[in-house]
Amino acid sequence: MPFWPQRKRNRRERDFDEEINCHLRMAVRDRMERGESIQDARAGARQEFGNVGLIKDVTREIWGWGSVERLLQDVRYAGRLLRKSPGFAAVAILSIALGVGANTAIFSLIDAVLLKSLPVRNPNELAAVGDPSRTGGVSSGGGRVDMFSYPFFLRFKAQNQAFSDVYATGRSEHLDVLLPNGTAATSNAGPSARFVTGNYFSVLGVPAILGRPFTEEEVRVPGTAPAVVISFGYWERQFGRDPNVIGQKLIVNGSKFTVIGVTPPDFSGDIVGRPTDIWFPITMQAQANPGHDYLKQAGVSWLLIMGRLKPGVPLAQASAETQVLGRQFFAELNKNDSTAEELQALLKKKIEVTPGAKGFSRLRHDFSRPLLTLMCIVGVVLLICCANVANLQLARAASRGREMGLRLAVGAGTMRLVRQLLTESLLLSIAGGVVGLFFAFWGCRLLLQLVSADNHVSLDVHLDAAILLFTIATAVLAGLLFGFAPALQTRRLDLVSSLKESKSGQFQGFAPRFGRALIVCQIVFSLLLLVGAGLFIRTLQNLERVDVGYTRTGLVVARVDPISGGYADKDVNALIRRLLGKLETLPGVESVSVSENGLFSGTYSSSNIDVEGYVPHTLADKSNDSDRVGPHYFETVGTPVIVGRGIESQDAENGAKVAVINEKMARFYFPNENPVGRHLFDGEGAKRFAITIVGVVGDAKQSQLRLPAPRRYYTPIQQHSPDDPVAILNFEIRTRGLPSSAVLKELRPAIKSVNANLPILDTNTADDLIGQDLDQEKLVARLSGFFGLLALALSGIGLYGVMSYLTVRRRTEIGIRMALGARRWTVIGMVLRETFRLVAAGIAIGLVLSQAAAAILEKSLFGLSAFDPLTVTLAVLVIILAAVMATYLPAWRASRIDPMIALRYE
Amino acid sequence: MSTHRMPSEKYQNRIELLQGTLDMLILQTLQWGPQHGYGIANAIRCNSGDLLRVETGSLYPALHRLEKQGWLKSEWKQTEAGQRAKFYRVTPAGKKQLVSERDRWAQLVGAIAGVLNPATSEE
Repeated sequence: MPFWPQRKRNRRERDFDEEINCHLRMAVRDRMERGESIQDARAGARQEFGNVGLIKDVTREIWGWGSVERLLQDVRYAGRLLRKSPGFAAVAILSIALGVGANTAIFSLIDAVLLKSLPVRNPNELAAVGDPSRTGGVSSGGGRVDMFSYPFFLRFKAQNQAFSDVYATGRSEHLDVLLPNGTAATSNAGPSARFVTGNYFSVLGVPAILGRPFTEEEVRVPGTAPAVVISFGYWERQFGRDPNVIGQKLIVNGSKFTVIGVTPPDFSGDIVGRPTDIWFPITMQAQANPGHDYLKQAGVSWLLIMGRLKPGVPLAQASAETQVLGRQFFAELNKNDSTAEELQALLKKKIEVTPGAKGFSRLRHDFSRPLLTLMCIVGVVLLICCANVANLQLARAASRGREMGLRLAVGAGTMRLVRQLLTESLLLSIAGGVVGLFFAFWGCRLLLQLVSADNHVSLDVHLDAAILLFTIATAVLAGLLFGFAPALQTRRLDLVSSLKESKSGQFQGFAPRFGRALIVCQIVFSLLLLVGAGLFIRTLQNLERVDVGYTRTGLVVARVDPISGGYADKDVNALIRRLLGKLETLPGVESVSVSENGLFSGTYSSSNIDVEGYVPHTLADKSNDSDRVGPHYFETVGTPVIVGRGIESQDAENGAKVAVINEKMARFYFPNENPVGRHLFDGEGAKRFAITIVGVVGDAKQSQLRLPAPRRYYTPIQQHSPDDPVAILNFEIRTRGLPSSAVLKELRPAIKSVNANLPILDTNTADDLIGQDLDQEKLVARLSGFFGLLALALSGIGLYGVMSYLTVRRRTEIGIRMALGARRWTVIGMVLRETFRLVAAGIAIGLVLSQAAAAILEKSLFGLSAFDPLTVTLAVLVIILAAVMATYLPAWRASRIDPMIALRYE
Repeated sequence: MSTHRMPSEKYQNRIELLQGTLDMLILQTLQWGPQHGYGIANAIRCNSGDLLRVETGSLYPALHRLEKQGWLKSEWKQTEAGQRAKFYRVTPAGKKQLVSERDRWAQLVGAIAGVLNPATSEE
């Protein structure tokens, strides 16, 4: 064994053997000198010396290697025993592997999303300005406290005292990239790219493994640095790790950019869950995103700010300072443009400076609750696994009673036996942990796919020290947990009775009470998990069925970016007409319309408007969602027109300014009258204009399924002004006669045939768009369902094991009963009754606990209470069914007992 | 499983009984020069007029313990009869230990004597 104490021990062992031999030789010689025969002398010397083995044992303890050696001996012994009962070992290891694997898998997600720091220099010095759960987006208006404009950033960088340096990063619009060899980069969605300031890489402390990062000098004057840094992943995917990539040119949305650097493999940007492929100098925004030039616009918030705090500056101080700078900036910005109350509302909001070590992440915000819920669930699964193995161990310990008794009789201390049993348990748990690590690895891939089928989430999950440590800790904890029960039972061993016990090693010393208690625990935990799973699944179902206010099946959406496609404001209407005309002719299309925000696209608009005859009390009273839609929009998506009319062809560029409001808005502003013919007023001062309400439509949800639809008004999309260009076009297409998927396939070619250079951001069915909003709910529902069933199966196995063991123990009793005339059904009933006592106790406790736990879940549920009777009833029925299935075989076997054999057995 | 094994607890009790004294006797015996285990046992027996018989089961653990504590050192040497044997000798630390153990022993003897003959001590 290549284990050094062992070698050293062997030398000592030989040394001591020789010492004893010398002693014996000298004793023999002295005895022979006194005249004994050689046989007598040898026998005498040995007898005088005493028990060699025992003396060695005691002396060994003194060497101090006793414990290590004993451990090895225990491990070897445990290994031998486990090899002798491979069935037990396999079931136990598998149970632990499932439990540990599930925990490791969820933990590695938690690690990636919630715990891991960015792979940059001293991440703990980083601090984020604004809301670190924002990752992108563009908002125009009076300024925000979660994202910022470039002019604000420049001023903040120059004037703040708290940070040693700050950088800014903003999301890029859709990119069409042509590689140097002339091929288009593969991937429909285009690379994920960000605009960064020149100090981005130096503030983060990320070097280039090839070429160089940006310098602050080159990223100063707009339009002068056509350079990009690409990520290791992008370099690998698109360039096959070509070492000559530096200096090559990419054509991005029509402009040439030179690759100047490649980042290290572990760095994929500061946005967790959305790896960056390409970094552009922020000053090249106009070139990379034609039509989107935000550099001079103080009112366009689109940048995230991160920096390194000066040593010793606390976050609170940085926040306070940022707040002051922000207020000054907002006050100047909104001097002309907005009402006093809007400015006041903005100034009241706080700009927070928060720890930035973990980067920016929307995932962290969205998934922390689901992931922690899942962590609790797998924790309970692990408990069930432990209970299972403990039960197996108990049953086995019962049949090992004689072995234990014998070992006690030959002088093994009780502690030694306890240690031996714990060693066995730990050996099992570590073996289970190793297998579990494989499960976890495989489970993680599956989990990531569950989180997002279309890969819009990408996480860096790989085995690292933290995860390994977690796995080992979990396995060892589990081992102690399930090893404790049998080990404790050993202490109750009664030497005499254990040896006297006759029945093939069956042994009364082990009370089955503990096994029964474990079963009750398992039932309790299983019920908890099943109720939880039921609640989550029903929540998902409710959300999937929730009325969105339009007909979501048979509806597909295509999303294009006219501004990046080079359409100036006045050309957009012509584009709309051409695209509507083209899409209408596709097979399977019943009608087509267009809107700016689309359905569950992540874009929404809202504005503060005045309503004729209404006096607002707060700013919130004026705020309404809005959308701009084309003719026949409501007919196409299937939202009912309740009063008046929808948006029609007549509402073109030169038509009268009209609006359609939704029911909620009508009720809010016109509780007792017909809104048709009344007016809305938009704009400030000289630009103020009136809009006539021409109709009321049903409420529709365009985002956030869980919330009721907000107040919203719709205006004709063709009536846009140069102040407020249409940024995005969503074409809604109602299909008929053909499946949505067939129509979906035709969309891209049809749009390309109208204009090949028009960026297509997405084509999807309304069902899928809405479904994407349910990522978290799906993850939790599917996984909790899976773990609930797993728990049920494990508990079933546990119940089966214990009931089998109990019936074997009662073999004689059952034999006597049958000899006295008990019927088979009576015996089966007897065993089932025993089970039901356990199950009933488990269910009773489980129901009480589940109601307590459900109160915590209330927030995550939708459309049902945490005390949902249907869910609870189903869970209880499933448990009872599983219990019957698990018990029936032992019961049936008990009923087949031959009284004669059972009685003779004794 | 060998049947003549004795339960270890009983065995350990006996060691404890002898422990302190045995250490002193060994250190004392080795004052006159290095000696092997068999020799030490014989010397103690002879010097006590055959009254004290040191069991090997106590002797060897004691020797190894004293060596571990740094009071003895051991080396393999030839005996006068030409046999190889492991010889133990006292280290300077062992000599100090012997002095303190002898003091303690003297105190103990004095104290026991005092208890046994209370009359004499009162006079």
